[in-house]
Amino acid sequence: MKKKVISALLCAAMLTASLTGCSGETSDSGNSREESSGTESAGQESSGETAAAESGQKETPDMDFAGEELSILVSAGWMDNRYDDTIARFEETYDVTVDLQTIPADQYSDILQSKLSTDSCADIFWIQSNPFAISSVIVDPEKYCIDFSDAGWKGIMPEARLSSCEYEGKLYGLQIWHNSPEYVMTYNKTLFEELNLEVPTSYAELLNVCEKIAAEGITPWFLPGADGWQHQLAFFQIGGVYEEAVPGLYDALNGNTATFADNAKMLEVLTQFKELSDKGYFGEDWIGTDSANMANEFGDRNCAMAMANSSYIKQIQEETGTADEFGLFLIPLGDNGSFPTNPAGPTMFGYKGTEHEELVKTFFDFVTTTESLQEILDNSPAYTNLDVNDAGLEQHWLPEEEEFMNAVDKNKMNTPVLQTGTKYTNDYWGDFGADMISFCQNQCEANDVLKNMDSNRAEAAKIAGDSAWE
Amino acid sequence: MTKKRILAVLKHALMILLCLAVVLPFYLVVINSFKTKGEAARMNLSLPKEWQFSNYKEVIEKGKLIQGFFNSLIYAGVSTLIGVVSSAMASFVMSRRKTKINIFLYYFVLCGLFFPVNYVTLSRVLSTFLLTNTKAGIVIVFTSAMIPFCVFTIRNFISSVPVELDEAAVLDGAGPVALFFRIIIPMLKPVLFTCFILQFMGVWSDFLTPLYLSSKSKLFPMTMAVYQFFGKNTNYWNYIFADIVLTCIPVILVYLFGQKYIIGGLTSGAVKE
Amino acid sequence: MGEVGFVGLSNYIEIFTSDKDYLSGIGHTLMFTVVSNIVKLIPALFLAIMLNEGIRGKGVYRTLLYLPSILPYVIIGILFTSILNYNNGMLNSVLEFLHLGFLKQKWLSDLNVVWKSIFGVDAWRGVGYVMTIFIAGLSTIPRSYYEAAQIDGANFWQRLRYVTLPMISGSIMINLVFGITYGLKVFDIIYVLTNGGPGHATEVITTYSYQLYSSGHYGMSTALNTILLLITAAVGVWIVKSMSKQEVQQ
Repeated sequence: MKKKVISALLCAAMLTASLTGCSGETSDSGNSREESSGTESAGQESSGETAAAESGQKETPDMDFAGEELSILVSAGWMDNRYDDTIARFEETYDVTVDLQTIPADQYSDILQSKLSTDSCADIFWIQSNPFAISSVIVDPEKYCIDFSDAGWKGIMPEARLSSCEYEGKLYGLQIWHNSPEYVMTYNKTLFEELNLEVPTSYAELLNVCEKIAAEGITPWFLPGADGWQHQLAFFQIGGVYEEAVPGLYDALNGNTATFADNAKMLEVLTQFKELSDKGYFGEDWIGTDSANMANEFGDRNCAMAMANSSYIKQIQEETGTADEFGLFLIPLGDNGSFPTNPAGPTMFGYKGTEHEELVKTFFDFVTTTESLQEILDNSPAYTNLDVNDAGLEQHWLPEEEEFMNAVDKNKMNTPVLQTGTKYTNDYWGDFGADMISFCQNQCEANDVLKNMDSNRAEAAKIAGDSAWE
Repeated sequence: MTKKRILAVLKHALMILLCLAVVLPFYLVVINSFKTKGEAARMNLSLPKEWQFSNYKEVIEKGKLIQGFFNSLIYAGVSTLIGVVSSAMASFVMSRRKTKINIFLYYFVLCGLFFPVNYVTLSRVLSTFLLTNTKAGIVIVFTSAMIPFCVFTIRNFISSVPVELDEAAVLDGAGPVALFFRIIIPMLKPVLFTCFILQFMGVWSDFLTPLYLSSKSKLFPMTMAVYQFFGKNTNYWNYIFADIVLTCIPVILVYLFGQKYIIGGLTSGAVKE
Repeated sequence: MGEVGFVGLSNYIEIFTSDKDYLSGIGHTLMFTVVSNIVKLIPALFLAIMLNEGIRGKGVYRTLLYLPSILPYVIIGILFTSILNYNNGMLNSVLEFLHLGFLKQKWLSDLNVVWKSIFGVDAWRGVGYVMTIFIAGLSTIPRSYYEAAQIDGANFWQRLRYVTLPMISGSIMINLVFGITYGLKVFDIIYVLTNGGPGHATEVITTYSYQLYSSGHYGMSTALNTILLLITAAVGVWIVKSMSKQEVQQ
């Protein structure tokens, strides 16, 4: 008899235990639920009360948002700490709290997709946008994004940036990003002077420079292949050179009347890249080296050049205390002379399903005031300027940057970089990089690398229902 | 005697070598957490030029580690406790009463070992039960996720506890609760603590589940904080390492505490004979 | 994600016919499952036996050996890409210091070495975990069994074969099941160390499916995952079946 009671009891326990496994709702964990949610709501109440009490005394401009919470979903690195002061001021001005959710970069797109599809997205979310990104990342902006077409801040974005924020004539996003030269060659000027080297403007000159630097026992071009996303820049940032070789190439690539494969200029660049790799000019083991120690490699004079942003100069000097001077020049692969114009950047969107739509709009307005923009710029040690139309904003261009920008022919600034100037290309960044390494390790031919890009893009076009590929 | 001695020395030598292989990378983490950002990027074994104790202060403040610590403690502590105890009960029944339904349930639970998690469906289920954005919801998910592991592990061990023992206890007048908690649980101590240690660590280091299931940063666990120190173009290695040291300490303590109870055969052996 | 269109089996056919080497990804997954388990289970068993016997300071050793499994994968990635760096990594420096310079390798970029490095790091991380489960199993073996065996004059291997292994069959089963499922689903350790590279040399099913998913090929990604699930389920059913057979025998 007793045995039966035991087994009945334990069976019940077991059932609850196994039910937890399938439904996620049990009685034994129900207690903890009450407890924790109880304390939580108590906490919310009290914060609500104090907020209400404060707002009674304070004058809130325009509208009363007191006590509301604004959540922001962003990938690590997109806001850094640049927005901290502005957010704090926003919280104070409107008596609200901002819940900033910083997500690990490699998880971000999955998380965003999952939150959008379960209708539980934060009030504001970010994507890395380019002129084609809204349709491929957000897919249905009409459904998920607040329409900002009438927003007062539309005018602060330059034309090129607007193209990454609009879709089918409607404005959805806000992109505040810098216009510093991104991923051009950063080089040790002092070292070049000591070795009597001129800045190379063609591939032949580059080879020559590399040879002389390598003879000194210094890695000519530090290339962190293990990062997996950096070495492709050598191929893509010089997009202008491909367009120059075959005028109309970008349009043809977007209209599916041209391919990457068999493009003579691209093959030439890949072959040059491999030659540099074979000669050891990227370092003995560039494929297995990541960028963690790059600033020190510069500071220790273990390397002479690398692809980096102009602000990286500041970082090298601050972190390593080196007395060397640094400068910038254009990536000379394929005898390139084009500036890497790139309208892409992290972009902020309002989530249409939000319960605080007015607050979201107010936040966008708030961020785009001259005061906030200045604050954001001043708080970004890594950036020297913001690419916005705001005469009141004081930019902090570096002398190296100005020198470089003035030297570049303005006509060479019109073509955007290959990865954002052509459709679907950027989605296969990692794939292309892996293929480039296969090519350098003699696992495939240069044209195979390009062919894979073509078949990947065709695949993406098929998914997107692109009429040009049908 | 001398042969035994040599063997002992050899064993220790091997252990020390292995531990060195383990400790060196950890030493790397600890020592670099006291360096400046630039120095830490070198990731070498040398001592810092100047000990930067402020790294820790900075990390605790910026990473909101205190809040994260308590979240993680609740997730890992509560869910592991519930998970291990209820799985112990379930496996006891499954192992002792092999009815068709129990056997089916056992294999059904085991399927959980093989199937992947789908967060989209999971968050839909939670929102049906109004558990989204609650600690309870997250705890329940963690608990259920560990049940297959625990049931499988514990059941494997229960079969080594002789049935005669339960029978004797029942004859002595022990009720079901007393039988389970007084007789069975002590016998299972090693495996229960093993499960607890392993699962506690599993939950502690899993930041994805809370990330998918909550949309409030105040529910984020301690392990999330480290990602704030990865920038777009530059990483704060010193902060990253300081953060890792702090997040590892609780798990180390749990292991040190728990492993005392996974002691050698004496207790179980005594009863077995 | 747009509309869901039914495409029949085309995704599966694509897997077997594509220019991209999905098949080698599947092969690598299976290879990883087998090798990673061998290199973890066997050393872990001997360590557990050693630490279960009366060796002084076993508590400290146990804890230390368990430590690596605490570390998050991203940190393991950072640490080991640095340690395994060819020019200034710790491993090559130590080898040079010991005058073993000829053993220096391009650990993460040489196609002939990269898998060994992954197995090494995976074992570094996983041995303590496996060992802990073995220790739990060993601790249930009564001392008297060994004493009896010793009196009978059994040597170490005989004791292992006739006492230890049968008595810890439960722990072995647990470790095998977890090891196999871990191996089949392996992602993080490869993602943080090589991300499937150099080139595509260390791609497994999950790294392919991750890349496909992040570039919007949800269909193909799901197809690959389904294949993985089928393999896992087949292995799972086989294990469970052989387990229930064993139970009947008991």
